[in-house]
Amino acid sequence: MKAAPFAYCRPDSVDEAVDVLAGGDAKVLAGGQSLVPVLAMRLGRPGTLVDITRLPGLDSLVVQDGQLHVGAAVRQRRVERSAEVAAVPLVARALPFVGHRELRSRGTVCGSLAHADPAAELPAVAACLGASVVVRGPGGERVVAAADFVTGAMTTAVGPDELVTGVRFPVAGAGEGFGFAELARRHGDFALAGVAVRVRGEAATLAAFGVSDRPVVRELTLDPDPTEAGLRPVTDALAAEVVDTDGDAHGSRGYRVRLLGVLAAREIVRAHREAHR
Amino acid sequence: MRVEADATADVTMTVNGRTVTVTVAPRTTLSDVLRDRLGLTGTHVGCEHGVCGMCTVLLDGEAVRACLLFAVQCEGAALTTVEGLGTAADQHPLQQAFSHHHGLQCGFCTPGMLMSAYDLLAGGTYDPATLPEDMSGVLCRCTGYRGILAAVDDVARTHPDGVPPPRAAVPPALVGRSGSASVAATLTSGVRESTGSPTEITVPSGPPTVTVEVRSTLSSPVEDVWAVLADPARLVACLPGAAMTEDLGDDRYRGRAVVALGPVSLRFEGLAHVVERDPAAHRLRLLAQGTDRGGSSTQAVIRLAADPDDGGGTTLWADADVHLSGRVAQFGRALAGDVSRRLFERFAEAVDEAARTGEAPTTRPSPLRLALSALLARLRRLLRRQRPR
Repeated sequence: MKAAPFAYCRPDSVDEAVDVLAGGDAKVLAGGQSLVPVLAMRLGRPGTLVDITRLPGLDSLVVQDGQLHVGAAVRQRRVERSAEVAAVPLVARALPFVGHRELRSRGTVCGSLAHADPAAELPAVAACLGASVVVRGPGGERVVAAADFVTGAMTTAVGPDELVTGVRFPVAGAGEGFGFAELARRHGDFALAGVAVRVRGEAATLAAFGVSDRPVVRELTLDPDPTEAGLRPVTDALAAEVVDTDGDAHGSRGYRVRLLGVLAAREIVRAHREAHR
Repeated sequence: MRVEADATADVTMTVNGRTVTVTVAPRTTLSDVLRDRLGLTGTHVGCEHGVCGMCTVLLDGEAVRACLLFAVQCEGAALTTVEGLGTAADQHPLQQAFSHHHGLQCGFCTPGMLMSAYDLLAGGTYDPATLPEDMSGVLCRCTGYRGILAAVDDVARTHPDGVPPPRAAVPPALVGRSGSASVAATLTSGVRESTGSPTEITVPSGPPTVTVEVRSTLSSPVEDVWAVLADPARLVACLPGAAMTEDLGDDRYRGRAVVALGPVSLRFEGLAHVVERDPAAHRLRLLAQGTDRGGSSTQAVIRLAADPDDGGGTTLWADADVHLSGRVAQFGRALAGDVSRRLFERFAEAVDEAARTGEAPTTRPSPLRLALSALLARLRRLLRRQRPR
């Protein structure tokens, strides 16, 4: 379980990092909590790792212009403990489910997005909230909407010569409520199924994860006083439609459909109650 | 900076309060550096891809997986391993609680559990209701979780204001005269020559690995014995396997010492500093420090005293607090104590001869070679146990 040899590069600027990436056969190393296992199992053998964690400007964590800006070098545990995260309650609620404490102390928010595991929490949160991902490449900076960011399992709109430099989550407005839940075999494992929910008035946005090759977002219009039992037909039908994965040793497809239906109804009701407090 | 795949880089970090520099390839993990270079084998390696949690250590105060970090990423980092949490003689409350609650069976996960538990309690987010989830980052394949959780909960309750810091926080620099008090000893490892060697000696704050007290009766009069002790060149010449390589001034010396023991041969490069001299009372106190290229290191506080005895001879007292770390520490207390005592006995004999002749000892004591069958038998058992399976 040793990584194959690679060159290590710690650039002094984002431009230099992009230059190295443009040279080819290079991967970005931030927290490394997903990348290093891949290297250890020799599932990947990049020629160069570009360590971006000390790049100036990428360590910012601020609320500005109605958005929570999280730089690419900001670690999950720092966000979890910060005062700023209260501005985006869904991020605060999802972070404790990301791996374990020991992984969040190194893992970055942007790294989780860029890795785009289908069962990962933060891509679903970004999709649910309509976050924006800031990407820098040889042609300069561009902003990718979360809906367009993940293009498949562990595949994103980020080119091989591009670098995610930050993500912007919209700050929660008055009258918004949130729900987040997932079920995994063990706390910290990837979810068998999970949901992130935002309710504004009677409009609910639901992002399901762990059930397809990417987060699946659906919009629902709620009754004024939704109940879990009343929602189940809706969420069960939704689950049957979006669960796009064969069963595995941890749970059959049917189990995941049922799980998602239950979790979705429960969290929509919770979010609605919060929105109408 | 860029380090090619087949090149190496020097990485300087603080491990258990001591500054170390290691020379590593980019792909060398922190867990391998801790275990193989620094000899800190308390950090265990299980899955080597971040799942099991055996290799959990503290980096800048937070629990991390040492197998998911490349050492090159750790430039300037402060690390604490289970060796820094507490020692056998001065256990951290978590270690005491694990013992009390039977929080370990085979012990393989224990270092990871301890470091993760420390991180949880130090983080100030302890909640008994979520303790199983909060401790789920480290696996115990004996499935002895109940004892582990009971131990962590016990410490949380008995330390409501926070758990005490690791025992081996930054050790006090006993000798720090270069203006920077924070500079600790530099331990060099790997293939690098020890250029930029340290000129300061740091003695760990914890209890010594072994304490040696030797009392020898010498035939020479006390003034002659003191003349040997007071002259660094003659003093070093009396130490088996030791040589002085440089006089740094201010009663500081650079030197080396070789200890050969059966198949083991350690060559320590290091420093000595005479911190107290009392010619009237014939008392001398010195600090010594040495590092072997294999990652073993030793620090010692040595006190020498010469008292006249009734028959015109001298009683020479030598006592030392010896700290061992790295691979040499695996010899265990008893063996290290035997070796150290034997070393001082040989030293005393050489001092007597030097005092008699007024010169450096004519028959320079050779590097310590112990023919004591009991010791060798113990050493062989030790090596057999550690042969890779």
